[in-house]
Amino acid sequence: MHILYPLVVAALLFSIGVYGVLARRNAILVLMSVELMLNSVNLNLVTFDVWLRDRLHGGQVLTLFTIVIAAAEIGLGLAIVLLVFRNRESIDVDRLRALAESDAEPPADSVVERQGPAGQGDQVAVSSRRAPQ
Amino acid sequence: MILLAMLAVPLAGALLLLVPGLRQNRLHGTVVSGITLILALAAALAFDHGNPRMQLEVDRAWAPAIGLRFHLGVDGISLPLVVLTALLTFLCFLYLLRHPAAGGASPALLTALLLVLEVGMLGTFVALDLVLFFVFFEVVLIPMYVVIAVWGGPGRRAAAYKFILYTLLGSGVLLVGLLLVGVNAGTLDMVELAARHGEGLSRGMQITAFLLIGLGLAVKAPMWPLHTWLPDAHTEAPTVGSVLLAGVLLKMGTYGLVRLALPLAPEGAEFWAPWLGLLAVIGIIYGALACLAQSDLKRMIAFSSVGHMGFVLLGIATLTPVGVNAALFGNIAHGLITGLLFFLAGAIKERYGTGDLDELGGGMLAKAPRLAAILTFACVASLGLPGLAGFWGEMLALLGAYQPGAGLPRETFVTFMVFGGLGAVLTAAYFLRMLAKITHGTPADGPVVAGVTRHEYAAWVPLITLTIVIGLWPKLILDLTSAPVRALLGGG
Amino acid sequence: MIALASLTVLSPFIAAVVGMLLGLRLSRLLETRGVPGHRVLRNGPAVIAVVASALATLFALIVAVTLWLDPGPREGTLTLIPTGTLPIAVGLQVDGLAAVVGLMVCCVALAVQVYSIAYLAEDPRYSSYAAFVSLFTSAMLLVVFAGDLLLLYVGWEVMGVCSYFLIGHHWEDRANSRAAVKAFLVTRTGDVGFLFGIFVLGVGAGTFQIDEVLRRVGDLPDTTVLAATLLLLAGVAGKSAQFPLHTWLPDAMAGPTPISALIHAATMVAAGIYVVARLYPAFLAAPTALAVLGVMAAISMLGAALAALAQSDLKRVLAYSTISQLAYMAAGLAVGTRSGAVFHLLTHGAFKALLFLAAGCVIYVTGSNLLRDYGGLREAMPITFWSMTIGFAALVGLPPVSGFFSKDAIIEAALHAESGIPGPVATIVYLTLLVTVAVTAAYATRAWLMTFFGTARTAFTPREAPRLMSWPVGILAVPTAILGFFGLGASELRPHLGSAALSLLLAGAGGYGAYAVWRRDPALDPARVLGPVRTTFERGFHVDDVYDRVVVAPVRALARAVVGVDDRVIDRAVESSAGVTRAFGGLLRRPQNGNPQTYLTGLLAGMAVIVLAVVIFV
Repeated sequence: MHILYPLVVAALLFSIGVYGVLARRNAILVLMSVELMLNSVNLNLVTFDVWLRDRLHGGQVLTLFTIVIAAAEIGLGLAIVLLVFRNRESIDVDRLRALAESDAEPPADSVVERQGPAGQGDQVAVSSRRAPQ
Repeated sequence: MILLAMLAVPLAGALLLLVPGLRQNRLHGTVVSGITLILALAAALAFDHGNPRMQLEVDRAWAPAIGLRFHLGVDGISLPLVVLTALLTFLCFLYLLRHPAAGGASPALLTALLLVLEVGMLGTFVALDLVLFFVFFEVVLIPMYVVIAVWGGPGRRAAAYKFILYTLLGSGVLLVGLLLVGVNAGTLDMVELAARHGEGLSRGMQITAFLLIGLGLAVKAPMWPLHTWLPDAHTEAPTVGSVLLAGVLLKMGTYGLVRLALPLAPEGAEFWAPWLGLLAVIGIIYGALACLAQSDLKRMIAFSSVGHMGFVLLGIATLTPVGVNAALFGNIAHGLITGLLFFLAGAIKERYGTGDLDELGGGMLAKAPRLAAILTFACVASLGLPGLAGFWGEMLALLGAYQPGAGLPRETFVTFMVFGGLGAVLTAAYFLRMLAKITHGTPADGPVVAGVTRHEYAAWVPLITLTIVIGLWPKLILDLTSAPVRALLGGG
Repeated sequence: MIALASLTVLSPFIAAVVGMLLGLRLSRLLETRGVPGHRVLRNGPAVIAVVASALATLFALIVAVTLWLDPGPREGTLTLIPTGTLPIAVGLQVDGLAAVVGLMVCCVALAVQVYSIAYLAEDPRYSSYAAFVSLFTSAMLLVVFAGDLLLLYVGWEVMGVCSYFLIGHHWEDRANSRAAVKAFLVTRTGDVGFLFGIFVLGVGAGTFQIDEVLRRVGDLPDTTVLAATLLLLAGVAGKSAQFPLHTWLPDAMAGPTPISALIHAATMVAAGIYVVARLYPAFLAAPTALAVLGVMAAISMLGAALAALAQSDLKRVLAYSTISQLAYMAAGLAVGTRSGAVFHLLTHGAFKALLFLAAGCVIYVTGSNLLRDYGGLREAMPITFWSMTIGFAALVGLPPVSGFFSKDAIIEAALHAESGIPGPVATIVYLTLLVTVAVTAAYATRAWLMTFFGTARTAFTPREAPRLMSWPVGILAVPTAILGFFGLGASELRPHLGSAALSLLLAGAGGYGAYAVWRRDPALDPARVLGPVRTTFERGFHVDDVYDRVVVAPVRALARAVVGVDDRVIDRAVESSAGVTRAFGGLLRRPQNGNPQTYLTGLLAGMAVIVLAVVIFV
């Protein structure tokens, strides 16, 4: 099989993954897209391993690494998303803006009186303990 | 070795204050600064007056990788400034013994800060390596900032911030200029660079270097229009802070111009001299006019400093031996006289509770005759009366402007001279206005004003005496500075 | 000789320092020691001041006599002050001119010091007063004996500041304080021009030493000499109270009367004339400058005389008279008679000091400065009356009193103007001199009649002034009377028939006019016939108001503007740098919107750009 087929598939998968990371609002979908990107990379690695006839099979070894790391990362990621849902009732990435720089000017008074970046950028939904699903 | 000891003693004195026992000792600062003064006088006595070269040198390697050496030395240009600094610091400590600065913090902290300040001031005048000079130049900023911010008047925070940020900005520019010269010339040693008179640096490089170094030092000097930190800093600082700020810190800027900018980049100096002269003269007239409309005593004296430094800068701008002599003489005279004026302003504020001219009312000659007499003396000295120290600096600067250095436009400088003369008349006007307002007339009824205390006499009499002595016998300073200045400007 | 001259300069200076610091302590010492004799001998400051003045007079006398016996200038330098360019020589120079003027200064100073002991007997600040008078004397002697232009300038300015302190002696009254400040500022404005003139002259000649400068004046280019002399004239106008810098002198009468006698009659105001006389070769090389001096003198002469006619304060009459007489000396210099001008300087020093001190006696006795409060003092104050009569006679120029000789010398010289000034200027000067003679006689007669004749117009105890005051006045009448004869040795100082007759005629006319008006009603002021112009004359032709509007008010407005600019423009620029920085920071904060997807987009875009750049350009 020509090398181009798996490469193109990997590229397509990667692009879909990038689209998902940048444009989807649901945090879980973002994580899924990250997985897609990682797997497309895996495909690439295996393809080149076979094509270059690597004696040490570096590509396939790296693929195993990537799978493990992806698994660890998805575990943590899903745990964080779960906690966020519990605290804020939503996992809409667009709504999680607590770290944004606000537009409120610090008081024009002397430099001494200046507080930290004033105000919170986003309303924090009242947290209520929800039972895990 | 004397210079090393002179720098080490105040530093050790400041560090000793970490020892809990010494912290309660009220005389600590006076003793340490007294020892420093004795060392400075010893250096003056050990100085060979006829020799125009650097003396009492200390030259050790410090950071060989960048060519940085710990190089100290004095010559006729820096020696009077060193003695002035040591004297003013000692007098400040004498004054503090009886008139502690009002403010919440401990007096030991103030003593420590002033001692560190002294190290920085003395170091600036004796440093002979570009980066070493810069280090000492910067050392004075933080202590002065803290002194103003903690012991100052009601607007102290803003004034302290403005002071430190503005002068830090200047220092940054200064550093760039110094490194430009140092890297391109291959050496950081000031004596070596001065002897070269700018060989090895292209004309464009010299012009840029002079601009950068000049701007950085101009903030300190202060030169119009970079002067606006001065009135606030002086008004809000406590008495000893103002005395040291006006008496010594301002001199660091003009000394730097003479020691660094002129010899290191002579072609740059020639290019920028008319602009320097223009800004100096604007400073003279502007400072005088601003003083005429002031209603606060300390603010008025601060603006008068802008005017006096204008004369010093004009002297430097003429690029002649007589002009630079005038600048150095004016430095010493201004240090003595304005130091005295700020001491007096502090004393008046302490007794009357206000520095506002209208609130002070009149008749001080009736209520506090000795204080008013000394104030009159200081004002008359400051307006440049011949026979007192202030005259020679101003007169020689005008003479230098009449005959500026080769390559400078004569008509421009003669115009500067005329405006400088007008500035002298305006200076007389505002000082006499101030004196008439507060010392003449009949006093309002009020509490009795305390007489001049012994500690105040001890602090003021040396300044008064030196003003008269140097005024009547200007040879004392001019003999010292003439030969090194000639060498600095490339003459024989 | 030079040593003696330096002692003459130094002894009042030392007296000033010692008197200021230790005067009162000495009084206490003398009191406790119980020194016998007149109360004065236990007055510490008085003793110090008078002893020093007497010593200075003695030294000046020895110098003058030595020079008379062995004429020829002498000079000596103590040391040279290096400046980086021309050195300043600390040295003195003695010649005939210096010796004779120095002697006059010392004599008048001694008389004033003795007089002041009684005049200021009740004054609590007498010690500082005496010290300042001594300092002033020292400074004036420095001006007289200086061998270097800048040393002369030092003495010149110190005189100015002493004048400020002494005019403002009674500083409780704000008017005195204002008068002192005005005097200092007006003279300082002139002094700046003076300093520049010294620069031009010194740098042009290559030295500041006076005798060298005069020797080289011939080699200097004309423009240099003209510029230098015109600038020097600015200082002369200021110190010698000539138009347009004359406005300070009438107001300076706010000071104690002995000060008016010393500073504003005999010495400081004469310093300007002295300097022109000293540097006369330079002025002769620039006839335009002399012409300017002549015009200034003409305006001052007549204007001041007319103003004196309308004053109601005796001291102000004498002040304007001083301006007028100084203009005489200036006119003399302008038309080429240096010896005539200096001769008039000496005689004026004597008779004006006499007039002022005698006026002080009158003020002391009557308690008022105003002419309309006097009257009929002739019988009660004989010494004062006769001395003042001699003084007024000298002022008017009646023979055989000294003023007659000196005035005549100047008028005669004006007729033959030999200094090189243009003809029309010489004519103007000559005519003005003649008219002023008449007006001088008029105002002198008016003052004399109103003070001593008729009946007393207010209530006061008519008595003679204390001896310490009347005796110096009487003693001063002697040189006033006979000084004229000392000049008979020189041909130009001898009276000339034509001009003498003409000036006597004019003086007689002016005097008679005043007398005739007075005769009509001895109780009223003869100046009333001036009618509507009286106010203009009295206000000095409103020059003061012009200055106020043209100089003082704009400067004040400019000062306020400067403070405004400083606060609102320059400082605003500095402080707005904080705002600008914050605004810039605010701009940079915008991308931080808290959304990680935005950050990642930016990251990927940047990465793509870098990859493209590497691929394309490397």
